[in-house]
Amino acid sequence: MEMTGSPHVLTEIATRFAALSLVAIGGINAILPEIHRVVVDVEGWMTSGEFAELFAVAQLAPGPNAMVVALIGWKVAGIPGALVATIASCGPSSVACYAAWQWVDRLRTSEVRAVVQRALGPLAIGLILASGYTLARGADRSSGALVLTIAAAAALAWTRVNPLWVLLVGAAVGLAGLA
Amino acid sequence: MGVLGFGGVLPWARRVIVDERRWLSGRDFAELIGLCQVLPGPNVVNLSVIIGARTHGPIGSLIALAGILFVPVCLMLAIAILYASVASDPLVRNAIAGASASAAGLIFGTGVRLMREARPPVRGLVVGGAAFVAVGILQWPLLPMIAVLIAIGIAAEWHARKWR
Repeated sequence: MEMTGSPHVLTEIATRFAALSLVAIGGINAILPEIHRVVVDVEGWMTSGEFAELFAVAQLAPGPNAMVVALIGWKVAGIPGALVATIASCGPSSVACYAAWQWVDRLRTSEVRAVVQRALGPLAIGLILASGYTLARGADRSSGALVLTIAAAAALAWTRVNPLWVLLVGAAVGLAGLA
Repeated sequence: MGVLGFGGVLPWARRVIVDERRWLSGRDFAELIGLCQVLPGPNVVNLSVIIGARTHGPIGSLIALAGILFVPVCLMLAIAILYASVASDPLVRNAIAGASASAAGLIFGTGVRLMREARPPVRGLVVGGAAFVAVGILQWPLLPMIAVLIAIGIAAEWHARKWR
């Protein structure tokens, strides 16, 4: 944590996350692979395994999914990092959302919106699957962990089980030393 | 509004916004969620911006934003500090390893579920598949990839629409 609050690191977080904010189609989960690429591969701020762990910790906490960026910011640069990451990743998209809201009545009926919505849907799904893959690469360091990942994916895809239970079962299996 | 942060997940937001406070009708809520999913950014955050704007304009948006982010960020920091203090414990490490393997599966399963429900046409599968391979497996930078794939996706949908 020696780089806590370093202006360079904070500026880096602010610019990277602000740019990603505007392409987070389908929410934060769509940009996790890019956040992973930047913080793990480009900057080397943490390992892939640590990234997957932070994601799991964020899932166990209440609040919007987007809170994972606060946790990543915290890991990189302490409390200032968490605040900068949260504001940078929610600010630009919120301004865009407010601007779009002003047009909402026109957008509601327009053919353009329907086309854009149909085009972005599959793209967002592809990016969410990419996030799952990225996290699994960091998290699955044993065959037990790989089985857990596959079981959790199947549970969510084909049943109505509460995701929190899936996480807790995973933690229990891990506690037993099987992951 | 801060109480929404505790719910976080969408079903909770719906209950408070539609059933309890009657800020929106069920149909308006569904429409807004659709809009929030098209717009970039966290869906629940976008939703609070729009609900704030409906009632009190830009100030309402800012207040809603602060409400939905403040409590979760504080909670997250508390959890982060707690996590840092126990993270080196071997038992905690095991539990976190299991939870992170499950969490990766949860995201993957969410994607599979969305795909099953949306049943995209072949052109959608191609765009989504390309996004998965390029961004997930090859770990290519997202910004150029997304620019190219959005252009291709919109062109394909626009073209398909003309033939209907």
